[in-house]
Order: sequence, then structure tokens, then C-alpha cells
Amino acid sequence: MIGNDIVDLMQAAKDSNWQRNGFLDKLFTPEEQFLISSDIQPPTMVWLLWSMKESAYKINSRETKLRLFAPVKLVCKNLIIHNNKATGNVLCDGLLYYTQSQISEDYIHTLAADQEDELDRASVKIMDYHKEYRISNPQSVSHHGRYLALAYL
Amino acid sequence: MDREEIIARLKPIVSTYVEDKDQLENLNEATDFIKDLRINSANLVDIVLDVEEEFGIVIDNLSMEKMLNVGASIDIIETKLVQQ
Repeated sequence: MIGNDIVDLMQAAKDSNWQRNGFLDKLFTPEEQFLISSDIQPPTMVWLLWSMKESAYKINSRETKLRLFAPVKLVCKNLIIHNNKATGNVLCDGLLYYTQSQISEDYIHTLAADQEDELDRASVKIMDYHKEYRISNPQSVSHHGRYLALAYL
Repeated sequence: MDREEIIARLKPIVSTYVEDKDQLENLNEATDFIKDLRINSANLVDIVLDVEEEFGIVIDNLSMEKMLNVGASIDIIETKLVQQ
């Protein structure tokens, strides 16, 4: 199973003040907060970690049939960033998810999968938002701000 | 504080994060922040932080897990106010 999440960085900057007191504590583990504070671009790390959690949550909530707002339970691990790509894991109550992210100036996109080989087999389309996306039958849909991200397996 | 009073204080907080304000007209205990009001999931944390400030309470992560709709939020606010 796959899940995907896109963050429109312009929209995120407008809608969220990540420096607000308590914001990071409620969303991120101490280790994740360390990654944020030690990054040369803290906002990019905030939204990268967030998109990892969101994409993994989309799989987790379908698998467990549980809807919860528990971002700190989705723990980002083994993050490796190289140029504009990142790979990592998200661990949630003993379940492991694999993630692959793309970082651009305008957005951050993460594809998550519960089987590692699904990351290679899946395809992702990122485009301007439009309403007729269901026609192509994507397995995971993410819309934020200007962007629509569709993932197929 | 009764549930009506809590909902009256909760509504202006929630409305800050709702793009389509028409959706707020029928706000009731069953209203879901994400499914009904289309609130961005990253803004759920702002609602939790605003609620903490407005009601002078601390919402732990376990309580926060359930804060996906108006009714559950009122339950948590009531519980935390009693605990104080």
C-alpha cells in the first residue's frame, strides 16, 4: 500500500507559524526537533518531516482503520538527504513505512509505502490542482495550495 | 461551563482555520475538522494550542489524538477543566 503527501511551501508559510510556542513539541519527537534546529533551512526540515508523517499516516489509518491526530507517534527515522531527494522510514506502533521525498523550492512531496519495492513500482504525478483527478484512479491523492499529487501503483 | 458555552468559545478559534466560512453555519458536535471543515491537518495543532490558551488547560498527546471533531474537543476541554 502507498500513501503520498504534498506540501506547498508558499501555502505552508502563509498558514502555519512553525516557530509558535508549543508547535514543534506537539508534532515532533525530540530527535526530529534536533534535525530541525540543526538544519541550515529549518522550515524545509519541518515540512519534510511533516510530509513523511502524513504520507505514512495515510497508509497507517487505512490499515488500522483508526483516525487519530497523533503526529508524535509517527516517528521519522534513518533520514538521508542527498541533493533534492530524501529517503527514510516512519515507525508507528511497531509498523514500519518506507519513504521517498522530493524537495523543490516550491513544494515537498513524499511517497510512503509499507513494502520497500512499492516505492520503485509506484508512479507519482505532481500538477496544478484541478478537480477531475479521480478519473485516473490514483491510489493516493494529496492536495495542498497550488498543487495536486497523485500516486499510482 | 456547559457544552453550549464551550462551543461558543470554540467556534471563533476553529473559524480562523476554515477557508470556506459558509461551512461554519451548521457547526455542531458532529462537525469534523478535516472532513467537514476542510481544515489542513497541520492547522489542527494550532487549534489545540489556541484551545489551551483560551481555556487555560494543557492538552496531552493522548487527549489530542481524538481532537478531530467538535464533540470530542468539547469532551476533552470539559475533562481538563474538571481536573484543574
